[in-house]
Amino acid sequence: MLLIHCPYCDATRPEVEFAYGGQAHIARPLDPSSTTDEQWRDHLYIRVNPRGIHAERWRHIHGCGRFFNAIRDTVSDKFVTTYKAGEPRPELTEKEGAR
Amino acid sequence: MRQEEHPLIGRSLDMPHAPATIRPVEDAARFNLRISPDNLAEASAAWGAILPARIGELASSPGRLAACIGPDEWFLIAPLEEQGAIEAAFSALYAKTIHSLVDVGHREVGIAIEGPAAADVLQSCIAFEVGAMAMNEARRTIIDRVPIILFREAQERFRIEVWHSFSDHVWHLLAGICREYELGV
Amino acid sequence: MADFRIPGAGRVNHGKPVQFTFNGKTITGLEGDTVASALLANGVHLVGRSFKYHRPRGILSAGSEEPNALLGVDHGPARVEPNNRATVVEVTQGLKTISQNHWPSLERDIGAINDVLYMLFTAGFYYKTFMWPKSFWNKVYEPIIRGTAGLGKPPVEPDPDTYSSRFAHCDVLVVGSGPAGLAAALAAGRSGAKVFLVDEQTELGGSLLSETDASINGMSGWAWLKASVDELAGMDNVTLLPRTTAIGYYHQNFVGLCQRITDHLSSAPQGAPRERMWKIRAKQVVLAQGAIEKPLVFDGNDRPGVMLASAARTYLNRYGVKVGNSPVVVTSHDSAWLAAFDLARAGVKVQAIIDVRKAVPTDLKATAESLGIEVLAGWTVTGTKGRLRVSSVRAKPIDGGSEQAREFACDALLMGGGWTPSLHLFSHTQGKLEWREDAQTFLPAKHVESSRCAGAGNGEFGLANALQQGAAAGQAAAADAGFSGSGASYEIAGEIALGGTTLRELPTDRNTATAKAFVDFQNDVTAKDIRLAVREGFKSIEHVKRYTTTGMATDQGKTSNINGLLIASDAVQRPAPQVGLTTFRPPYTPTTFGAFAGYNRGRLFDVTRKTPIDSWAEEQGAVFEPVSLWRRAWYFPKPGEDMHAAVARECKATRDSLGIFDASTLGKIEIVGPDAAEFLNRMYTNPWTKLQPGRTRYGVLLGEDGFIRDDGVIGRLSTDRFHVTTTTGGAARVLNMMEDYLQTEFPDLKVWLTSTTEQWAVIAVNGPNSRNLIAPLVEGIDLSEEAFPHMSIAEGKIAGVPTRLFRMSFTGERGYEINVPARYGRAIWEKLMAEGQRYGITPYGTETMHVLRAEKGYIIVGQDTDGTLTPDDAGLGWAIGKAKPDFVGKRSLSRPDMLKTDRKQLVGLLTEDPKTVLEEGAQIVLDPNQAVPMKMVGHVTSSYWSVALNRSIALAVIEGGNGRMGETVHIPMPSGTLRAKVTGTVFYDPENTRLSA
Repeated sequence: MLLIHCPYCDATRPEVEFAYGGQAHIARPLDPSSTTDEQWRDHLYIRVNPRGIHAERWRHIHGCGRFFNAIRDTVSDKFVTTYKAGEPRPELTEKEGAR
Repeated sequence: MRQEEHPLIGRSLDMPHAPATIRPVEDAARFNLRISPDNLAEASAAWGAILPARIGELASSPGRLAACIGPDEWFLIAPLEEQGAIEAAFSALYAKTIHSLVDVGHREVGIAIEGPAAADVLQSCIAFEVGAMAMNEARRTIIDRVPIILFREAQERFRIEVWHSFSDHVWHLLAGICREYELGV
Repeated sequence: MADFRIPGAGRVNHGKPVQFTFNGKTITGLEGDTVASALLANGVHLVGRSFKYHRPRGILSAGSEEPNALLGVDHGPARVEPNNRATVVEVTQGLKTISQNHWPSLERDIGAINDVLYMLFTAGFYYKTFMWPKSFWNKVYEPIIRGTAGLGKPPVEPDPDTYSSRFAHCDVLVVGSGPAGLAAALAAGRSGAKVFLVDEQTELGGSLLSETDASINGMSGWAWLKASVDELAGMDNVTLLPRTTAIGYYHQNFVGLCQRITDHLSSAPQGAPRERMWKIRAKQVVLAQGAIEKPLVFDGNDRPGVMLASAARTYLNRYGVKVGNSPVVVTSHDSAWLAAFDLARAGVKVQAIIDVRKAVPTDLKATAESLGIEVLAGWTVTGTKGRLRVSSVRAKPIDGGSEQAREFACDALLMGGGWTPSLHLFSHTQGKLEWREDAQTFLPAKHVESSRCAGAGNGEFGLANALQQGAAAGQAAAADAGFSGSGASYEIAGEIALGGTTLRELPTDRNTATAKAFVDFQNDVTAKDIRLAVREGFKSIEHVKRYTTTGMATDQGKTSNINGLLIASDAVQRPAPQVGLTTFRPPYTPTTFGAFAGYNRGRLFDVTRKTPIDSWAEEQGAVFEPVSLWRRAWYFPKPGEDMHAAVARECKATRDSLGIFDASTLGKIEIVGPDAAEFLNRMYTNPWTKLQPGRTRYGVLLGEDGFIRDDGVIGRLSTDRFHVTTTTGGAARVLNMMEDYLQTEFPDLKVWLTSTTEQWAVIAVNGPNSRNLIAPLVEGIDLSEEAFPHMSIAEGKIAGVPTRLFRMSFTGERGYEINVPARYGRAIWEKLMAEGQRYGITPYGTETMHVLRAEKGYIIVGQDTDGTLTPDDAGLGWAIGKAKPDFVGKRSLSRPDMLKTDRKQLVGLLTEDPKTVLEEGAQIVLDPNQAVPMKMVGHVTSSYWSVALNRSIALAVIEGGNGRMGETVHIPMPSGTLRAKVTGTVFYDPENTRLSA
């Protein structure tokens, strides 16, 4: 069971308190009606599937209830960092990115 | 005609030698309060006591508990007879400060876990380190797949708030663990 | 029975005899014995038959790595378990054990014919032998293979035991309590760190328990062990867990431990769990798992009586048991000599030490000679004899001719092929291994977790090394966890330097093609099988493993992996590190399902959610069905009624007069704030701005992909407060989805969501008399048609209790849903039941609810929809607020695929024979005469007998269904093809006159 740091609680809690929420930083278009079919398709369905660093959403559903973002390594499963929703994706140091 | 009931009314544990026991707590009024933390002072005024500002903090005053369980969320427990006054105070507050106060008094059942082994009993099915909880700390978490709010009111006294349909499961789970501790195995 | 016990020797309790049975014969062991040591003490080596060839097998080892000695154990009624290793099962009074995999008896086994047919059963024989004819696959081969496969017999009764689990947190977890682990725990414990020391054995001490030569700090090994364990036991910050196996090592130092609590007790207290699964989170982990001795690979190395030299030493020193009276030792390592010496000193006539090395240490040779043991250096073993027990061994000089071969009569053959560090837990973490050419083994190299390896498990053999490295690891682990302490140093005396060489198969002058030189004893894989696999093209060790099944038995190849690897590496002519090691997976040793289940058995198997009215339904004899985690009353049979009769009665009563239904499981969300209506506008397809307080509306919730996710009636209590209902199963999902949009897409909205599912008990009263029932009980709400029409909501009181009263209907009849605070649910239900007697009030369950709603064509999300239906597909196009600029899923509804006319659409079906009720899920075709496989155009989603219509009705999704009204479609079933006519979805009261009747 992973340990996850909730940026809202500022506490590291067990994975059972959290729910995965898919890839992060996919903003819903402000006016979906103005998107083309292709743009909307991409918004709905096209996701990265990296081997390594992945920005993704988690929710501290059985804690403070907040959605937040995380940088996680899909190879080791380990969390590199977590940050509040709305904050930009952090620049990783070389060391973090290499993990 | 029975007027009020919940699944744990009348339950008790017949384990005189267990180092921790459980019991249903006296029923209470309960509210879920959502309000911007910027308006915490007004909310505290309506509540009648300081509401804690940090997630996980629990403020207790006679008969009352107020736990901050999210950035803008508080779980409030008060004596039943104070229900009306609290609702009125927040209703008056709404006109100038918007918020959400929802009566959840019947949603929950309270279970007290008491005794020298109280933290150990809970630790059997809670993944985070229960013994490391501070006095007057409250957290939402999971016990054996059941969502709860866990309060630590004293070194050897905890309280669980759980939705009533889950309370029977939690009760039997904890009762079995108390028995394990009574046997000392 | 022969007695091989040495009086007073070992750590067993000679004053406490314990009787158990083996194949019905009573065996006397001692307290502290394993089944294996007790059997050996009685001269029993033959304990089972091998998996494939049914060869007689004995006890190979003295630990959890045992591949051969698998027994069925019976701890009393229903406490039966197959495949227990005799080497770890503790003897208890009255225990019954039986050997496995033979018929009619262990000594005479028909299956041993397989051994004669050895040449047939080579690697991959399944794939080669059972190919033709194809018609035999299912009817002949599979039943035969299934019949012969597997070891032991599964228990037939439910497990009467309980199991437990526990989370724990510590600073330093030490796995293994041999010298390295003890030193680590002492160092960490003395620093004040919270330490867990776990060991799979019954006693802490590891290899020290078998060691009688060395002394530590001037004390004998056992005296030091006792002093150390006493010191650890006296520390409040140290938890000692013997009989506890670390079975798996997971992310972030999360380690699973299985503790055996009651199996070794002849009677356990009521309520005591049999086993406990610890889930421990350690800041630092020290792995001190030691090493496992390797068997040597030669023809006949599997006969009963052939065992690991270290095991013989353990049986002698720890259990006071001689494994034979005239053993021969064959080895490539110094360590096996120690077993010979200890046995000789105990008065056993050791026939010879056969060492494959030409040069053996002179001190060892001198000791052997002083003990009267013949030493044959540079010799090999080429075969053994003996049907049920080894009776002789053939040896010859490696460089000499066959004429120099000698035959030694013996009753045991002790082999020592060097040591394999136990890397299992380290490998669970994906830690990197490194090949050590000198030791011919893999060792831990790069740690991924906060862990350290120490002692033999880290390639540091010898007591002094183990203690020093253990102490250093314990100290460093404590320091990394924030505790400082000073190191300890250990003075060792009497230890013999340990060296050796590693071979593949032992050299032989005989035909290797017919040799039965076993590598994997449990799966009966020989060196020949591995070489054959390579010849047939399997080059990767993972492929060799699967083709030959080496290492795939329940022991995961603990004694066989390195031998298998070395032979494969030789056969493919690539260095061992390039061939690689197969993957170790948790659990380290076989673990009971009970331990994994923990508390979640019986009543606690899963959460069963019950409504406040559930207890009433139970008292009335309701039949229940599970709906998500809830159990709901399905129907309320009267005496003599079956389900069909009960449902028919409930339907009729509700349509004719009055039915009452527990709808408490419906999800409820209270939405509060000035932007509540705008939030609903964005979430649901419907428009909400103009909905007046006191009114309700049926809402449809889509995913962003445009497909229906949920539905429910939403009431506006005031300008800023809505009471939303969801489906029973959708409650948590819908709230999560709403929170997601609110927090991440619409954070500008001033609105808050609170789950009130369990705040309210919900009682639905439906039927022409529903208003008559509640009118006298309701206070503060005008129930007149004008003030409280269909789709209204109001707050007031009912029978003196606060209520949120909905006027709505899921049956098509006049209906009310009475929400009362949950604690009052049962009381109000009973009050309504009492008052409703004059109207023949009838409680109904979910089945009747389903029938009544289907008669009206009301859908159930998740039954009539499956995540691919749009509102138009489901006939809910009317619920879309077309003027709204946006809502979740709106954009998707104009995607080209969503506009196609041949999409699957929800329609009604009326069978040609009105008495035929279609099967839900049945497939629909247009042309019943087409060739198989037919083109399926849809399926039946709901199907019932309708009492109101006196015929069957069904809902179905059919391609282009809306354009097929009146057409006949076909439903092929095993008993013949059924015909049905496509209709609209509303079967009953299409004008909705009854809603206000």
